[in-house]
Amino acid sequence: MKEFALREQDQEMASGRFARYRFYLRQRPTMLVLLSVLAVLFFLGVTGLSHVYHAQRASLGDRWFSRGLADLNAKHYDAAVTEFRAALLYSRDEYSYQLNLAEALIGLDHTGEAFAYLLNLWDREPDNGLVNLELARIMARRGQVDQAVRYYNNAVYAAWPPGEESKRRDARLELIEILLQAKRQGDAQAELMALAANAGETPSLQQTIGEMFMRAGDYERALDAYRTILKVDDHNAAALAGAGNAAFQLGRFSVAQQYLQSAIRVNVNDTESAQRLEITEMVLRMDPFRSQISTPDRNKNVVDAFAAAGQRLNTCPLPSRDTFGTTGSAPSLKDEWIGLKPQITDAGLRRKPDLAQSAMDLVFRIERQTSSVCGPPTGPDLALLLIAKLHEGS
Amino acid sequence: MELQPNTETEVLAENGRPHPATAWILGHSPGALWRSAFREDRFFLILSVFIGVFSGLAVVCFRFAIDWSRLYFLGTGAVLTPMRMLLAPTLAGLVIAALVIHFFPTARGSGVNQTKAALYIFNGDIPFRTAIGKFITAALAIGSGHSLGPEDPSLQIGACLASLLGRRMRLSRDRMRLIAPVGAAAGLAAAFNAPISAVLFVIEEVIGRWSAGILGSVVLSAISGVVVMRWFLGSEPLFRVPAVELKNPTELIAYAALGVIGGLLSVVFASSITTLRPKCKALPKWTQYFQPAIAGLLIGVIAMLGAPQVMGAGYDYIDQAMHGQFTWEFLAILAGAKILATVLSFVSGTPGGMFAPTLFIGAMLGGAVGGAQHLFFPHLTGSVGTYALVGMGVLFAGFLRAPMTSVFMVLEVSGNYSIIVPVIVANTFAYVISRGLLPIPIFDLLTRQDGLDLPSMEEQREEDILRVEDAMQRPDGPILDGEKTLDQAMAELDHTKNEDLLVRLSPSGWNSVSKENLGKLAAEGKGAMTLASLLPVQQVPYLHPDHPLEMALRYVDRWPTVPVVSRADFRKLEGVVSQRGVLERYREFGET
Repeated sequence: MKEFALREQDQEMASGRFARYRFYLRQRPTMLVLLSVLAVLFFLGVTGLSHVYHAQRASLGDRWFSRGLADLNAKHYDAAVTEFRAALLYSRDEYSYQLNLAEALIGLDHTGEAFAYLLNLWDREPDNGLVNLELARIMARRGQVDQAVRYYNNAVYAAWPPGEESKRRDARLELIEILLQAKRQGDAQAELMALAANAGETPSLQQTIGEMFMRAGDYERALDAYRTILKVDDHNAAALAGAGNAAFQLGRFSVAQQYLQSAIRVNVNDTESAQRLEITEMVLRMDPFRSQISTPDRNKNVVDAFAAAGQRLNTCPLPSRDTFGTTGSAPSLKDEWIGLKPQITDAGLRRKPDLAQSAMDLVFRIERQTSSVCGPPTGPDLALLLIAKLHEGS
Repeated sequence: MELQPNTETEVLAENGRPHPATAWILGHSPGALWRSAFREDRFFLILSVFIGVFSGLAVVCFRFAIDWSRLYFLGTGAVLTPMRMLLAPTLAGLVIAALVIHFFPTARGSGVNQTKAALYIFNGDIPFRTAIGKFITAALAIGSGHSLGPEDPSLQIGACLASLLGRRMRLSRDRMRLIAPVGAAAGLAAAFNAPISAVLFVIEEVIGRWSAGILGSVVLSAISGVVVMRWFLGSEPLFRVPAVELKNPTELIAYAALGVIGGLLSVVFASSITTLRPKCKALPKWTQYFQPAIAGLLIGVIAMLGAPQVMGAGYDYIDQAMHGQFTWEFLAILAGAKILATVLSFVSGTPGGMFAPTLFIGAMLGGAVGGAQHLFFPHLTGSVGTYALVGMGVLFAGFLRAPMTSVFMVLEVSGNYSIIVPVIVANTFAYVISRGLLPIPIFDLLTRQDGLDLPSMEEQREEDILRVEDAMQRPDGPILDGEKTLDQAMAELDHTKNEDLLVRLSPSGWNSVSKENLGKLAAEGKGAMTLASLLPVQQVPYLHPDHPLEMALRYVDRWPTVPVVSRADFRKLEGVVSQRGVLERYREFGET
């Protein structure tokens, strides 16, 4: 009986304790503590899940990206685009995925879509060299030269990762190309000078620089570039030909002759240099005003030049005088030539040495005017035209 | 023995009350602050943060579940194989039907109406089983390619969690009623990564009225939910929005055209759902096992025919449309195909939301309209992406009929306020057209089809409110001046038959007196005294013309006439209201 009473008392105490616990559990502060604990546990659980989730997505993204890269390198642009798109499903904002997708899209000629991706990338990293370069290329394709130049400039001065420094140079080369195509020679020359200053002595690069200087009309610097190559490799056929051409354009025909002769020796198939050499030698041979020429030779050159000019007038009849703005009473070139012809003989020139100058003046005028009417001359007429340019203003 | 000063008695003032400074200290003691923090209204705010956190965590898990479901059903690649396109939604449809019929019948539909019903009918009570069912079935549906979105289920999951917490915390019935929208806002905010839009959507579509009492909790929970979601999934917005600018105001005409087309398309979309849904429900019960599967199969066919973009929520494709990656013709096809796919999914009873499909259709429509307009009017400067963005708002306004949310959603998603004018113009057209052609909003129609009648904000907008001015009449008798003597007042009353008179007091206030009482007072020889000194202290309350007429009901049974005064000058009487006049006005209103 006593035992039963004790047990009952125990039970009462236990239920009292339980009620007390329940009372405390129902208090709001306790509930909030429990809620906090629950939130922390839930948070930890979701963190674990999140790690699994993100790891899986990263792995899938990488897998598709690797496939895409392989296809991009193999120029399988269609497959690469699909794979990069799949990679982006798992990491929409992954920079490299978007960039490579853009490149693959450019490969597929989907420049509009590529441009959208690149612009997005540009917003995130406006000083990314590759993004600027690709944007510049798209703009160049679209013919928006100013925009292209802006992006090219960004690419040139952008941050390039170590090992990709050469792309900065490539960007500048492409920029120069665009400027040359847009006939912005001054801008192109400025960029070329900046490029040349840091180009070193790499023959291939100097060759490109030389060619670009030639196209930009800066023959002096082009010659320098070719000479830089020849310092390293004096048998470089392209450099010899380029140097010959640059000297030829500068009117330094004897220098040009040396380079061109060497160029042909190194590369006998270089027909362009051979033709240029032929002209060069013709210029050197036909120039009556060159130094250290004997009087008979000079007279002979004048007579030959005068005859060639007459021939040129026959093959290229000039329009009426007024076309050239000559005064009404002035005789035509043909008339002048006919009038002077009897005197331009070896004997005549010996009698009147001053006639050589008058005869050559007429020859130069004939060659200039016929070239502007009938197009660039060839052979002796070209040589005479070059001689005319050489002695312009003298 | 030296006596120690008793600080407790020292701080008491002579009358036994604590000194004000002491009272302040006692009132701000840790104990008092502790007790005050756990008053129900404050506790509710704290609880809102927890609701936001739990909802955010649940939504994150829901996102994981959808993505995993997609991986296993549709594969890991960007291009789906025809087999997967057909089989995934079909098989998932069979499983979903079985789960919904046998285990989670309340998981059907989008979840918005159910949450609203919890608020207005079930005192905030939503069975937790609904959340589990919604989580599983919606994840399966969306992941397998059914054309539905995760936002509305997230909203319902949040509401379910909030309801569970409210029950466990033993909140009062009033608070319990409000708790579902708090969770709904958190769930939606976390799913859409847009807290402002979520708060507005919950107010417009779930609560259906502006309620200052709940706004704080809704905002707190929405922000908590978004913070948690961003912790796990990053803070990137759902879409990469292109640069937006409006260079020429005439371009607004183009956006208005988008609004008109969007409004018409919203009506087509909503009508298709509301027409087909009851028909599908009316089919024999056994067909319900196959309806989601058939819908899935048809969606697979649409995908195979060249529009795989319609499968799932489609956010990636919205992103692509915004960046001009589709032609306008294809965008138009996608808008139509998505409407078809969403109607199929939804009317078949597959659990999932309409938020994402609405945005998808809107973006595609906007892109298509923008692209087409560019073709005919090349001078337009807005990009296709801008039109797609505005298009999302247009469908939101036209289809979901949440005009405010539609504007703020676009602003929040784009982060660009320069788009506000085009959005408002286009959304207004869409909203007005949709409302004109389909007077009852889609969610209300769906609720009514389910046999419920819940209040809506649109109803409220259209509701005529009676005001005091509607029942106001000119006073019958003269207005007495409280400063005049009783004799002077009696002289004024000679020609009036009106028994109850208003007295204007100085400097302000009104009182009322009957002619009979005035006579009695005069008989007592108080003729030389002013009226103000003779009248009882209790004054007659006054009203203003713009007060709701309900307010007049509080007073007209106690005072025969209640003065209606100007808000600018309380002594200027605009009119009076009486019980009879008020009741008559209500009767007339009821008859119209």
